Amino acid sequence: MRQFAVPVAVLTGALVLTGCGSDDAKAQLSVSSAYMPQPVSDMAAGFLDIANKGGAKDELTSVTSDLGPVSVHETVGQAMEEVKSLAVPAHGQLVFKSGGNHLMFDKLKHTLKQGDSVTVKLHFAKSGPLTVEMPVKSATYNPTTGH
Amino acid sequence: MRKKTFAAAVLLAAATLTLSACGSGDDSQSPVSVVSEDTATKAATVLDTPFEKPDLVLTDTHGKKYDLRAESKNRPTLIYFGYTHCPDICPLTMNNIAVAKKSLSKAEQDKLLVVFVTTDPARDTPSELGKWLKGIDTQFVGLTGNFATIQAGARTMGISIEPTTKDKNGKLVSVHGTQVVAFSPKTNGGYLLYDQDATVDDYTKDLPKIIKGENP
Repeated sequence: MRQFAVPVAVLTGALVLTGCGSDDAKAQLSVSSAYMPQPVSDMAAGFLDIANKGGAKDELTSVTSDLGPVSVHETVGQAMEEVKSLAVPAHGQLVFKSGGNHLMFDKLKHTLKQGDSVTVKLHFAKSGPLTVEMPVKSATYNPTTGH
Repeated sequence: MRKKTFAAAVLLAAATLTLSACGSGDDSQSPVSVVSEDTATKAATVLDTPFEKPDLVLTDTHGKKYDLRAESKNRPTLIYFGYTHCPDICPLTMNNIAVAKKSLSKAEQDKLLVVFVTTDPARDTPSELGKWLKGIDTQFVGLTGNFATIQAGARTMGISIEPTTKDKNGKLVSVHGTQVVAFSPKTNGGYLLYDQDATVDDYTKDLPKIIKGENP
């Protein structure tokens, strides 16, 4: 849990600081705010923030889960488009949120209810994989208000 | 979206305050904050010219013919165009309405008609649609049928949708509408517009008004 719970505000602060002369040319990735709205069918969306404190960019190349196939989508206009990879910029973040980028779970092996948790593994071009526990929230969960 | 506007407005307000401190008169504080309050609290856009209800005769989730105008006559009605293979916005929109609906009285719940029209009729057969909607609210009506008919109906409500296409990986890509339109039980006109940022709280606040055909 500890490595996931880095508050965004702190990261933003760090962004400014590291901007003034850090020289680590490696991506330093961490994940926060992961959740899945309780799905209606065997299809679900997943959301999270991937922050990069390091001075080099990385790329999210794939996502895997024991629950079934996961693909990465970005929303283009009113449709969503599957993408091969998404960049995690140096000193920046890759945000998955409702109406924007999302992880898409297809053919979930079993029904998921609020309170359950889904384990996903994020794979990157350069950094090692990150395992994320994604809690299943209510179908109408709004991360801005927290309910 | 509204959050952002609000935050920007607050910043702007702060900026104006700072500026006004540099010596201008006393008329610089009020306009900014008043405007920001309005956009921050109202989810619905009240239409000056209401939409006519689309003349759609489609198939419901029981495989029966469903005449939208006849069935929804003088009933408070919410219409949304989406598809069930949509993991994000479509279930969120329908669930937001479903949760808000639970705070209405039983009588009001029975009056309210919520219609989900598929934009992906090839995959959303009556039974697929029925299965999906059952997981959200058993009173919701799901309609499917000929795509061209559905598209034409959506267009009369200012909603633009495109047919399902295949992407480069051979996966099917469908399109959903971006708005929910509320039709008045008094005039049968589509008088309110909600975008996809409308929350459970927004609908909870507004549904009792919509039931009466009033402006939220």
